[in-house]
Order: sequence, then C-alpha cells, then structure tokens
Amino acid sequence: MALLELDGLTKRYGGLTAVNGVTMRVEAGEVRAVIGPNGAGKTSLFHLITGVVPASAGDVRFEGRSLTRLSSYQRCQAGLSRTFQLTSLFPEMTARENCRLSAQARLARRWQPYGGQAVFGEASTRGDEALERLGLTAVAGRPAGLLSHGDQRLLEVAMALAQRPRVLLLDEPTQGLSVEETLTAVETLAGLFAGGRLTVLLVEHDMEVVFRLAQKITVMHRGSVIADDVPSVVKEDAAVQAAYLGGYA
Amino acid sequence: MRAVVCAAIVLAIAPFGLPLFAMTLLTEALILGLLAMSLDLMVGYTRLISFGHAAAYGLGAYTSGYLLLHTSLPLPFAVLAASALAGAVAIGVAWVCTLATGISFSMLTLAFAQLLYAVAFKWTSVTGASDGLAGIPRRAGPFGITMFQTKDGYYYLVLFCLLGAYAFCRSLVRSPFGAVLRGIRENEAKTLSLGYNTRLYKIAVVAVSFALGGLAGALYSPFAGFANTDLLFWLFSGQVLIMVIVGGQGTLHGPILGAAFFMLLEHVLSLYTESWALFFGLIFIGFVMFAPEGIWGLLTRRVRA
Repeated sequence: MALLELDGLTKRYGGLTAVNGVTMRVEAGEVRAVIGPNGAGKTSLFHLITGVVPASAGDVRFEGRSLTRLSSYQRCQAGLSRTFQLTSLFPEMTARENCRLSAQARLARRWQPYGGQAVFGEASTRGDEALERLGLTAVAGRPAGLLSHGDQRLLEVAMALAQRPRVLLLDEPTQGLSVEETLTAVETLAGLFAGGRLTVLLVEHDMEVVFRLAQKITVMHRGSVIADDVPSVVKEDAAVQAAYLGGYA
Repeated sequence: MRAVVCAAIVLAIAPFGLPLFAMTLLTEALILGLLAMSLDLMVGYTRLISFGHAAAYGLGAYTSGYLLLHTSLPLPFAVLAASALAGAVAIGVAWVCTLATGISFSMLTLAFAQLLYAVAFKWTSVTGASDGLAGIPRRAGPFGITMFQTKDGYYYLVLFCLLGAYAFCRSLVRSPFGAVLRGIRENEAKTLSLGYNTRLYKIAVVAVSFALGGLAGALYSPFAGFANTDLLFWLFSGQVLIMVIVGGQGTLHGPILGAAFFMLLEHVLSLYTESWALFFGLIFIGFVMFAPEGIWGLLTRRVRA
C-alpha cells in the first residue's frame, strides 16, 4: 500500500477543469516531483491534497484512510506538511520562533493557556533540529522578514520539517531564487532527502531542480497526467517533449 | 515586571493620599483600564479589530445591575455572574463573527453591539429602556463583608480585579495558546496550514476578552449606581479602541495607561472647552501618525535610547 494515493482527483471551476482525474501513488521514502507548464494544475493539485479547496470528484487516501472529509488543518495534523509557492512566514518572529510555532502544532498540549515551559521546550528542540538540517542555525535569531529570499524559502521548508511530517509537500521550493541561490537551495535539499527517510512530493517547473532531486516524476498538462515514471524515461517521452520540455533533453 | 509591581504598590496606597473626588476618577480609570486591556487581547495580540467592545461592557453592566436590583445575590457574585454571562454570549457571537475576517469581522462586531443597543432600548421590563437601570445598590456580603460598600473598599475590589485580570492575561499571552494567537496576528493562513484550528482559537480569545470586558462593566454599574444605553453605544466602542491604540496595543499595560490618559484628558479638556472630543481626536491622529506604538512605546523608546 502506498503512503499517499490519489484516485481520479478532479477539480472543476465552472467550465474549466483545472485538475482532471489525476491518479498517483507516492510510496513511503520516495521523492516525487510533479512538473508541467504554467497552468498545468500543479498547485491546484496541491490544494486538493492539502484540503485548501474541496475536490469536485475523486479521493485522497493517506495510509489507506480517506482524507476527503477532513479540513486542511486536520490533514496537516494527520501528517501532511506543506510549503507555499509564495513564501508564507511569520515575518516579525525570529526564524527560531517560526520553527517553534510550527513544531508546537504537533504537540498534544499545543493550546495550553498558561505556563508552557514543557511545550515550548519540546517544540524548540524540534525546531532547532530542523533549522540545523537546513543550515539556518546561524540566522536563527533574526526576524524571518529580514532574511534573504533564499533563506526564507529554506526556512519554510524547515518549518514543515519541524513538524516531523509523514509526507512533505513542497510547492516550488526554488521559486524566485537567483541562479546561485537555487544551486545552494538544491544542494541543501538534496542533502536533506538523501537517506530516504523522508517522503516528499514537490511541485517544480525548473527542470534542473527536478532531475537533481526527484526519483519519480509525474508530468501534468492541462490538468491531466501525461507521464509518470523515473526521470530518465520521462526525459525521453515523446508526449512530454511535445507538451513541455521543448527539446530540453 | 518591576515596574508593574511598583505601579501596583502605588495604586494600593493611593486611597491614603488622594482626596475623595480623585479616588472616584481613579476607580473609574481602573475600570476602563480593565476594559481596554480586555480589548487588547483581541486587537493587539490577535489582530481581531472589534468595533463592538461596548457590547461586553454593557452586557456586564446591565447584568450585574439587574442581579443587584432584583435578586439578593451579594455583589461579588453578581459581578462574577455578569462576567460569565458576557463570556458565554461571546462564544455565540464569535462563532458568527469569525465566519468573516478583516473589516467584515469588525463590521459584524459593530452590528452585534448595535443589536444589543436596540434590545436595551426596547426591552423595558429588564433594561428600563431609555431610563436605564437606576439606584443599583452595592449590596453587602457574602459572609457579612461590608467593605465594598465604602468608596475605598470598592476601589480595592476594582484594583484586585484589575491586577488579577492582568496576571491572567499576561500568563495567557506568554503561553503556547498565546503563541498561536501571535501566529494568527502575523499570518492567519499560515497558522491554519500548520494544523491549528484558528477559528477555535479566535472564538476562545473573543470569549476571554468579553468575559473580562464584562467584568469591567459589571464593576461599573454598582460603582456609578446606574446602567444606561450609552454604555452600549458604538461611540463608546470607538473610544475603547482609541484607548488601546493610544496606550500601546499588544502590551496589556499600555491600554490601561491609555484608558487613564483618555479619562484625564477628557476631564481636563472639558474644563476649558465643550468640543474636547475635537482636541482628543487631534491627539489620536498624532499618535497614529507619529507614535503608532502608543504611550507605552514612547516611554520604553525613551528608556532604550
């Protein structure tokens, strides 16, 4: 049984079908990328998986359990942690506080209305560990809003990681980064993914990034899946070439 | 923290040094301070801008007034019951208002407060309509305690409530719950996506805020001896919001200072001119433009520099 299964997932906005019957299986320990040109439905697919928007049809199953009836925060509680295409942080809090608040969400006493040494202590431990894994320890004390754009992107990943997610969903982690920043970010992420302990689903349109990071690739075009395989096969696929890669390989 | 303890000591010995009329003003300032501090939980800590906080005050004032006039409940119990009622009503109100966010949320709080205002005007048998409730007694008890019947004794009751509420709020905003409120203030969508049910947190903070605002109102009507519809009017909601902003939102003690400043200024300016509100408005504009962190921010800025 795959960890995360999408079954005929569909989203229609009036006459437009943004996501059209997507079926996909993400195995535990797998790093899978969803690629496709702008408007292919990648981010919409993310919204459907995380429950930000309701699906028109189809089902999302996580560890064999249907998530369809769960709201977005409940899906997160179940173990799906995500980042956003446009960086979404708590700008006035330090990087450390950002991660602490994120980790706190997974603790049973996260709502405790008094004291909190134990809750904050455990959340800080998890948060600091995530910061370290993304190489952000040096900037941990700075307000998130003052970090460089590259560090902000990585901080968002650290926040998701601090939740110790079952599946990590990254929406274009290198969005808006310069060439050098992208290189740094990709190497950091590759180091993070090495070892196969994380299950990752990432949306990306930078081909270099995808081929460096992903073990499996799902290609979307106009809302539908047109290819689903290992990178070397996807690169050679004629339909993919025509739809998207434009002779990249 | 040291400053807070000093302030508490000064307030505790104030009755020995101040004349009676000054004690009356100070008691009212502390009651308004409690109200402004309760609103700060919503405005300063959660960025839930309420244009209807008079509703909490009025609910508390009318409820404690009614209980003291028509039942034999001792004063402290009537006050606590009124506070609890305000908190309970707030759960329902917040459940509706949190369906919206931003300015729509503010408009819904305003609408609810105006609804209560209209009810207070029409429900003659309970609220006394435009006459309001008059002759509200400061009943003795429980256990034969008569202390609250004197002006100084009542002042100590108010001071005790304010300090207790302050300690409670301070603990609340520094707790894990408070950290989530801060998250909602800075980025609600992100807080939700981290797995927090943000709406429940918002309903909870509105309930706490209303319970404390209700406590302030419940202390006011036996103090003044009356409750009328002015306490529920939208103008008063706006004034409380001004106290919070001028005092320094997101600090708890700032809004208490803001309330005292507002009262003092109203008192002094109205000696010289009938249009004191105009001058206060200019001062408010000055704060928003040049010192958005409020009086408390100005004081601490001076200290840091």
